[in-house]
Amino acid sequence: MPEKYLKPSLIAVSALFMLVFSLVPFIFMVCTSFSKSPDYLMAGNTFRFTLDNYHAVAATKSLHFAEYLRNSLLVSAASAFFCVLIASLAAYSITRLALPGKVFILFFILAASMFPQISMVSYLFKFMTSLGLINTYGALVLPYIAWILPLSLWILVSYFSQIPQELDKAGLVDGCSRWKILYKIIFPVAAPGILSTGLLAFIFAFNEFMFALILTTDQASRTMPVGIALFQGLHGEIPWGNIMAASTFTVIPIVILTVIFQRHIIQGLTSGAVKG
Amino acid sequence: MKDTTLNEIKESFSFILPLVLFTAVFIIVPVIWAMFSSVFRDITFLDKKFIFLGNYKYLLADPGFWQALRFTFCFTLVSVPLEIAFGLVFALVLNEKIPFRGLLRACVLIPWAIPAAISARAWELIYNYNYGLANFLCMKLGVCDAPINWLGTNLGAFMSLIAADTWKTAPFAAIIILAGLQAIPEDLYLQAQVDRAGFFQRFYKITLPLLKPVLVVTLLFRTIDSLRVFDLIYVLTHGGPGGNTTSLSLYGYKYFLMGDFGYGSAVSVVLFIIAFVLAVVYVKVGNFSRGIRI
Repeated sequence: MPEKYLKPSLIAVSALFMLVFSLVPFIFMVCTSFSKSPDYLMAGNTFRFTLDNYHAVAATKSLHFAEYLRNSLLVSAASAFFCVLIASLAAYSITRLALPGKVFILFFILAASMFPQISMVSYLFKFMTSLGLINTYGALVLPYIAWILPLSLWILVSYFSQIPQELDKAGLVDGCSRWKILYKIIFPVAAPGILSTGLLAFIFAFNEFMFALILTTDQASRTMPVGIALFQGLHGEIPWGNIMAASTFTVIPIVILTVIFQRHIIQGLTSGAVKG
Repeated sequence: MKDTTLNEIKESFSFILPLVLFTAVFIIVPVIWAMFSSVFRDITFLDKKFIFLGNYKYLLADPGFWQALRFTFCFTLVSVPLEIAFGLVFALVLNEKIPFRGLLRACVLIPWAIPAAISARAWELIYNYNYGLANFLCMKLGVCDAPINWLGTNLGAFMSLIAADTWKTAPFAAIIILAGLQAIPEDLYLQAQVDRAGFFQRFYKITLPLLKPVLVVTLLFRTIDSLRVFDLIYVLTHGGPGGNTTSLSLYGYKYFLMGDFGYGSAVSVVLFIIAFVLAVVYVKVGNFSRGIRI
């Protein structure tokens, strides 16, 4: 086959495969959530549409679905907010001020993000227990901030370093404090970077599993991923319909966010996580 | 030489202080405490006793630990190259000027954006023996005559985990590799076209060599991440069948759950040391300071 046709057809086939590969588990999740029973793929069974699963998940108090969702949203939002705040202060210091050892800090933080979570959880559990914070938002938000800081710092450093230093000098001449320069000049200019960072921090906090599993012990304080992972039926049989309804309900907003902010997410990931 | 005042240094410290504090209290101290804890017999309801390397001696003779170590290495060795290969193909496609490129990129990001614990639950249903999608497709496409017990056999569970993990992490590899592709100057390809180099030749002679640094960094990053694997296994197989898919993280977790913090810490310290060595290599190889003026 001449190359003129080979390349486009290869690309088309790969693109199709990519689409199917990425979406099929998600589509299966959504389909099952709308099915009367999860065994619609078995020979002889047919798919019967229902909204019962959603209704059950929303209305059954003992499934704690509303609590999981609220916990996840509040914990992730708080973690993302404080993370961006702390990381932007640090990124300002690293990119604009005469901070001794800045290179070491930057690389040490990068290495720290590679540490396994399992080597932190036993201390965190004892520490949070001694402070009486187990089952509170604090037990999750505090470690989450620390856990997501490396990524946030790296994204923001790469954004801040592209902003001309002359802006700061102008601010200083006008008698602004450093804090005011960060707040009045850098933040507005770096707004896309702040948005990427906040979004990524939110997604990372929302997806976190091990800390949430270990630092919450009662049902009502679990986050969504832990809640769904430990989701038990009331009568023994795994309630697939309910689980998939809860999953779909949780995942749809993330999917929408991802589609809308695709460009920001990709930019953040590539400037924060890895540089070639 | 910039003129620096003592004031500016003081200010720079106060700006970085919250970051240092959070990292110290919630990352560094916990890791050091785990090392400290690993030389004690630290079991709930028993007296804490200094036993120095006692936990590590036990570790060396513990078949469960070796099993977990072997599984973790096998898992990483199989899943990471697969992810990079998928990621590379996806990145090559996404780098082309094709219709709906933005939407396609967003779709590829979806597996990455969904919490692993939640997508693992969907995979659990996909692998269901009686009515899962995996067996449905295998039977329909004639891959097998009888349904496969995906999560109940050693090989089945291993393959299931690999497939689910590749699905979850290939998008990330794709995004990073895509950034590397976009950094390759277009002129090189134009020159190659003038020289009548074929499609595959251009890939081998230009793309792959220039992409090598990015691939190495992605490989290292994914390796470290894969060695820590926990969420997916916790949900999908819970380490089974018979403990054969227990990763090091899950193995340590099981000891914490039993209240044996000393031994659990020893397991976690082994994983930490492996991750730390690779992290140092990663930071050194990564050439991260390029493109950042500080």
